[in-house]
Amino acid sequence: MGSRILLSDFAYLAPTTLAEALQILAEKQAVKILAGGTDLLLRMKLGTISHVDYVMDIKHIKELNYACLCDEKQCGSTANGAFCIGPTATLNQIAKNGDLSRLFPAQREAILAMAATSVRNRGTMAGNICNASPVADSAIPAICYGAALTLQSRRGKRIVALEDFFRGPGETELEKDEMLVNIALPVPPADSGAAFIKKSRVKPDIAKISLGVFIERDGTLIKRCRIAMGSVAPLPLYVQKISEGLAGLEMNEQLIAKTAQMVKAALKPISDLRTNQEYRRAISSVLVEEGLRLAWRNAGGELK
Amino acid sequence: MTVIGTDVARLDGIAKLTGKQQYTGDILIPGMMHAVLLRSPHPHAEIIKIDTSEAEKMGAVCLTYDDILINGQAVVYNERSVSVPAATYRDRTILPNKARHLYEPIAAVAADTEELAYKALQAVKVEYRVLQPVYDPQEAMEEGAPQLYDKVYLGDKEVDICNNIGVSRNISQGDVEAGFARADRIFEQDFELPRIYHAQLETKGCVVAPEPDGGITVWATAQSIHGNRQLLGRALNLPLSKINVKKIAIGGAFGSSIQVNTVTPICAALALKARRPVKLISSREEDFYSHQKYPVRFHVKMGVTNEGMITAAELSALVDFGAHQVQPLPFLGCVAGWFASLYQYGGNIGFHGTAVYTNKTPCCAMQGYGNPQTNFAIESMIDIISGEMGFDAIEFRLKNYRGVGHEFWGQGPTIRTIIKSCGVEESLLKGREIMGWSGRGRHTDKQGRIRHGLGVARGFHTSGTGGPKEGEVIDYSSAFIKINEDGSVDVVTPVMDLGGGTWDAIAKFVSEVLQVPLQRVGLSPTDTKSTAYDVCTHATRGVYCGGGAAYHVALEVRKKLLETAGRLLNEHAENLELVRDDDLGQGVVYVKGLRDNQMTVGEIARQAQINSWGTLQYAGSYRQKNCPPCFTTHFVEVAVDTLTGEITIPKVLIYGDCGTVVNPELFGGQLIGSFGRGMAYTLYENLTMNEEGGFTTKPQAASEPIYTSQPVKDGELLNHGALADYKLPTSSEMPLIENVLVRHTDTYEPTGPFGAKGIAESAIASVQAAIANAIYNAIGIRFYRLPITPEIVLQAIQKKAVK
Amino acid sequence: MSKHLIHLTVNGKEHELTVASNELLLNVLRDRLYLTGSKYGCGVGDCGACSILHGDESVLSCLVLAVEADGWDITTVEGLADGDQLNPVQQAFLDNSAVQCGFCVPGMVITSTALLRENDDPSEAEIKDYLRGNYCRCTGYVAMIKSVMDAAAKMRGE
Repeated sequence: MGSRILLSDFAYLAPTTLAEALQILAEKQAVKILAGGTDLLLRMKLGTISHVDYVMDIKHIKELNYACLCDEKQCGSTANGAFCIGPTATLNQIAKNGDLSRLFPAQREAILAMAATSVRNRGTMAGNICNASPVADSAIPAICYGAALTLQSRRGKRIVALEDFFRGPGETELEKDEMLVNIALPVPPADSGAAFIKKSRVKPDIAKISLGVFIERDGTLIKRCRIAMGSVAPLPLYVQKISEGLAGLEMNEQLIAKTAQMVKAALKPISDLRTNQEYRRAISSVLVEEGLRLAWRNAGGELK
Repeated sequence: MTVIGTDVARLDGIAKLTGKQQYTGDILIPGMMHAVLLRSPHPHAEIIKIDTSEAEKMGAVCLTYDDILINGQAVVYNERSVSVPAATYRDRTILPNKARHLYEPIAAVAADTEELAYKALQAVKVEYRVLQPVYDPQEAMEEGAPQLYDKVYLGDKEVDICNNIGVSRNISQGDVEAGFARADRIFEQDFELPRIYHAQLETKGCVVAPEPDGGITVWATAQSIHGNRQLLGRALNLPLSKINVKKIAIGGAFGSSIQVNTVTPICAALALKARRPVKLISSREEDFYSHQKYPVRFHVKMGVTNEGMITAAELSALVDFGAHQVQPLPFLGCVAGWFASLYQYGGNIGFHGTAVYTNKTPCCAMQGYGNPQTNFAIESMIDIISGEMGFDAIEFRLKNYRGVGHEFWGQGPTIRTIIKSCGVEESLLKGREIMGWSGRGRHTDKQGRIRHGLGVARGFHTSGTGGPKEGEVIDYSSAFIKINEDGSVDVVTPVMDLGGGTWDAIAKFVSEVLQVPLQRVGLSPTDTKSTAYDVCTHATRGVYCGGGAAYHVALEVRKKLLETAGRLLNEHAENLELVRDDDLGQGVVYVKGLRDNQMTVGEIARQAQINSWGTLQYAGSYRQKNCPPCFTTHFVEVAVDTLTGEITIPKVLIYGDCGTVVNPELFGGQLIGSFGRGMAYTLYENLTMNEEGGFTTKPQAASEPIYTSQPVKDGELLNHGALADYKLPTSSEMPLIENVLVRHTDTYEPTGPFGAKGIAESAIASVQAAIANAIYNAIGIRFYRLPITPEIVLQAIQKKAVK
Repeated sequence: MSKHLIHLTVNGKEHELTVASNELLLNVLRDRLYLTGSKYGCGVGDCGACSILHGDESVLSCLVLAVEADGWDITTVEGLADGDQLNPVQQAFLDNSAVQCGFCVPGMVITSTALLRENDDPSEAEIKDYLRGNYCRCTGYVAMIKSVMDAAAKMRGE
């Protein structure tokens, strides 16, 4: 009931180096990382977050603010290199990047589908991912593009595939002393394409359902496909089995329709205040069909 | 050239655009305390004990039920005071001793900062005796249902409340049974409209400063400063002369502040107790639980002849108005009136209205006072009948509507007027040409994934609540106008402008009557101490009634001006001419035909002052003796995605009949804004709440798992009071601007100032039915409940396909 | 709770303030600098009434800690006009009668100004998209969208 002020009693910390930040995480209890604050502060206002003693603002750590192409192996990139996103890069900073727009148009679209510009001027993709909401828009195409996350603590670094990062609503692979320090989107090969589709009540709203598709094409065959969906499971869902089953198959309308039905049959969505499970199931197949067609066309493929 | 009908920058435009316009929350007084409210965590509970000692130790001032007693008695009132006392149910006190809806304020805490106030609030201990709530109005009337009240007051009379029925009204005219007997076909249908929320951008708030004389100065989110003053006088037992309510801008209203807001008397009582200024501004979450729009379940019955004449109509309405009466009595009367006034029905009308207490947020007026609800039912019904009987929906309306010479019920059965101006026919005939009505096709002809449909509906609202005789509602306004010694003019009006441009219209009327340039008409900042009464800016009465009073007062000033000029020019006043001289920047008076012998208005005023004749001024009250309907017609094109159920609106034509258009762009702004709200009411908005703990639990609600990041309390809104999860349309949901067509009819209201009547509330009346009718035209599915969400549309499409 | 000394430049004027860690920028602007043009509408980033410019970018001041804004160059609605000269967006809103109750207007003109600093020739779709985080309950947005188009044309010298 108190969104006019922030009642919680916390100390504000502003480390200027990553090492300092990791030390704070290792040594102090009840620390929350503040990047954009568009989610953290509102949850603190509404009291939907557990007790917070320290708010650690990481925006003063210069080395964490970047969104650019990078060829260093440390970010878990493939041979083609990767687009790397630092934890304080804002959503608009990422979306406005020319390389991202050129190489990862579906990622850009998903980011621009989030909230509104003033929120995206502050909010970060790292924050969106770490909140681990089943509806996280930015995670959906990122899963399809094969994003890898670098998690770091004083104990060291590890790289986790984005789809393996989520454990449930609000729960992630992150240990208490760990921090997400990099998001790497591997540069897609030629003859590939992706799509992102979101359905929401009104434009700036959280998704009722969202879909990402990535397809690598080999002539008329699907070489590799990754489908991910938001708001249909307790976590952003990589539709792994069905996606992998498409490899090597001839792309056509029958396959699209069959795949859509398979996805629909596999989903066990829930009802919430945004929509109900019947609707989520009903339009999941519509989205999958549209997404497959779009991604295929974006990969340079034709459909008869 | 007249200023009526021209577009000029609105009077408060620069202040609003530069952030200088003050709203209630912007009032800062040195030494001011900040108040927050303790709200019941139970939808229905007796308050056994409140212990504020810990909070007081923290320096807070607390207000509980015991503090509001005057001679051991709590003053029982109704927040809404536009009806006459004998037609006003009273059931509430400044703070209650029983909570009747979730988050009802039960205590208040003020401290030096808002933060400290919240901390002190957490230290207040309350002991409740939890009672079972009842949410569904039908269930509330059942035997054994929890009772919200035993008795309330109607005027000064104590009345028993049985089965939670707050009000029932039966109104009839003619012979309904005989009318139905004459019909060739009888149609019956149920309709249902949801609870929605005003979502005015400014949350309700109040600032009260105690004065050394024991009085108070008040800034409040309000549509009526005098309504606030009178209620505060009554609730706090203060003489009205000690209460000064300041006129201050309001950040959107839509009816949400016709009544005195719940926070206002609390804030005032707290300030008096603390002997310091207190500010109390609702958070958005709190505002959601303050007032909501009336939900209604309708049953409609109509008899029609094969020739297309409606012979009788009957309407039953069941209203769930929540925990307090913010006047369902006039609401039911108005619903009857809107229904009765749409069509002639062969003079045979039956209305049965029941309004029921439930453990929900109280409902109050929201743009239309039952009109959009009623219109959705009736205008859908007209479309159903046209379709079933093969009539053209426009021709059928033209045959049956009430127009010039017919009676219009402007505010229930006691406030009636004869219609003297009417743009219905013009809007329907021209509209059908513009929108290509004849080419709209039938739903059976339409194919493909996206299907387009065109729908029409027409509606109206009253302009004010005046009438030839006094009725259930109070209606008059006042003004004080004076000519300054340089020819400029001050206007003092108690009327509130809710954003629609009422003040601009008033300034234009005065400018026109006194022939003074608009730039030299000043609207005085004012308050209840320096103005006479105006009931409220509600019922679309700002321009017609508030402006009407200013117009008539200006005529009196003009009379004085000409008489004074006559004395100075040695001429009879009737031989004088008053015209605006833009070169001189003021009005001039001269003898008709003799332009040489002239005096400026400033010279006349100044000379009158020098001669000690007095100021050219007049103060008066004025009642409009009519309540002319302002009409609207909506033609809406929809596009339905048959695979997702999503509906978009590619194009709309909005016809408005406000008589003379005073502020053309603001007129358009009213129509377009209302269209946006109507679109939201039809397609998006709904306050869904957790009703698990209700008198009888709804099985379907229980079987549906609900995932939210927060636990949902019994009686809690699923959106937790967040705007993000309440669906307001954004700029992105509006049609392309070139496809939002606005027209006005060529009409003149003989009883209005310069031919003007209102427009505001009429602008939403027919939006809902027009959209629903267009959806039917697109896909052949009729929706009887709002909102028509993609989920509901898709389900209906799938069901139809299975058949 | 921690206390912090911060420096803000607001509408060209420098301020040095000590703020508590939980103080919000919106409340500091309104209650301590008396710049009440920025409004509280929801407190959780839904409505846009508290929008301010941080440099050239629009930001929701209800979701920024005051301490986070240390060193910021802020423009609030009070700082958009140059003396009596309204900025092109404000002028176009006035000319198109895009203002009704006015409560959303500060946020709306701030966000529109940010858009025109980024894009001097936005399409209708781009304007709608940009303004979608600013609720207006009164106008139906049409006059506002038109105003932004007019302001853009004027700024381009058309």
